[in-house]
Amino acid sequence: MPRRVAIIGTGQTKYSKERNDVNQMELVYKATTKALDDAELKVSDLDAIVLGNMELFEGRALPEMWCGEGAGGYLKSVTKIATGGTSGSSAAIAGFYQVASGVFDIVVVVGWEKHSEGHTQTAMAMVDPLWDRHVASGAVGNFALSISQLMAGRGITEEQAAKVTVKARRNACRNPYAHLQMPDITVEEVLSSRMLAHPVRLLDMCPQSDGACAIIYASEERARTACRRPAWVKAVATRHEQPYLGDIENRLIIMRTLRAAAKEAYRQAGISQPLRDLNVAEIYEPVSYAELAWYEALGFCDEGEAGKLIDEGITEMGGQLPVNPSGGVLCSNPVGASGVIRVAEAAIQIMGKGEERQVPGVKTALAHGYGVYAWADVMILSSELG
Amino acid sequence: MNELINIEIPMALRWQFGTGRHFSRFIQTLRNEGKILGIRCPQCQRVYIPPRLICGNCYREMAEWVDVKDTGVIQGYTVYYHPILDPVTGEPRPIPYGMALIKLDGADTTINHYLSETDLAKLRIGLKVRAVWRSQRRGFISDISHFEVIQ
Repeated sequence: MPRRVAIIGTGQTKYSKERNDVNQMELVYKATTKALDDAELKVSDLDAIVLGNMELFEGRALPEMWCGEGAGGYLKSVTKIATGGTSGSSAAIAGFYQVASGVFDIVVVVGWEKHSEGHTQTAMAMVDPLWDRHVASGAVGNFALSISQLMAGRGITEEQAAKVTVKARRNACRNPYAHLQMPDITVEEVLSSRMLAHPVRLLDMCPQSDGACAIIYASEERARTACRRPAWVKAVATRHEQPYLGDIENRLIIMRTLRAAAKEAYRQAGISQPLRDLNVAEIYEPVSYAELAWYEALGFCDEGEAGKLIDEGITEMGGQLPVNPSGGVLCSNPVGASGVIRVAEAAIQIMGKGEERQVPGVKTALAHGYGVYAWADVMILSSELG
Repeated sequence: MNELINIEIPMALRWQFGTGRHFSRFIQTLRNEGKILGIRCPQCQRVYIPPRLICGNCYREMAEWVDVKDTGVIQGYTVYYHPILDPVTGEPRPIPYGMALIKLDGADTTINHYLSETDLAKLRIGLKVRAVWRSQRRGFISDISHFEVIQ
């Protein structure tokens, strides 16, 4: 039986196009110290460090050696997780395991990326060298191919995707850490932005951001004494599949990994109707269309009904289930941090520290990570231990 | 003294990757005979391209080789207007270009490949396509230059 675990602190840097005021280790340090302050802990309280980073993006090997010290890793257990877009959420789950197992009581998870330093799109195309790489086209292209299937199979429209972008970039204006904040953005502006790969337009895609995010886990005993309103971890599930791009049929429609991860997480958390039982969700949507695909895979709606959720404002702030009050990945995407940010923002909502982006009365929050072509992480946090 | 300095490091590297017995046979047949081989899982019967030792879904070893045609059906498509650096050559790809997920006749998985057609009005899921081969084959997916719509 795993021990009960809570998140008792979070720390984020400002996300932006280029953070050349700090090197990577200093960026990690900034997020870590903010999380320590938030949890009212000292670096000596940390038992272990888990890092999330996609080092190929910056072309810098062994980031755990270079940056571990920034997270307080001196003479402590330091591990690194790298699973593409899920790097951060997988690191968050790995950190949970370390406390839930009883091995450590206090663990910090720090995810970061400095996309300004490297070649993200080319690194993303540096997939399988034997076969896929010769025809790889990075994140935009892979999404565009699958989006043609989503539109044909689920009737999703360009206008519905544009509404996702508008929601995200307006929400981001209430998040002081967000990279892209566009208070006046309109559906028309999204639909007239530059076409990258049909039907994906510039404003449909996430940015490449620099930034870091940290969360601190505590065992039940430590969480009770250290934190007034901890965010208890009710469920974690991670699912991976398939080595080649073409192995996965109708990826965005079927999304076996996310459906399986969600089903398992809902089972652990005792959730039968996600739209009713969840109060807020922070999901990993690198492109506007993906958010609509995840609505269905996460069980927020029935088959083919995702477009209605956005049309009817159900996932807006003030709707039945606000999705991404932070602005999400569409507004800030330092990849190694992005999954940690989802978990941190879900925890912030539980802890009531969301300030202008706070959803009132959050008791149950979902955080989701997406990586490579189909990998999925789901975590559910709660204000109640029970 | 307050200037923030970014250091630039250029790098040119070569890599070599072992392919294993299954993939070696696949690319030798591709290079020498211009034929595409798939491999069938003894449990789920799925035919995979490219061939590999195991079906990850069933965790079973595969040994039944099957011939796959160089014609197939579009399962998903896009047209690119945004140049990205080709990860093999490091050069920007000329735009616009078409791309599709193609299920070759005889296979159950798809391949990702270029289309000669870039007019969106003429593209849709379900169209039949045929491979256009390069005159010189080297044993890569790029031995097929692109696919053309035949229906």
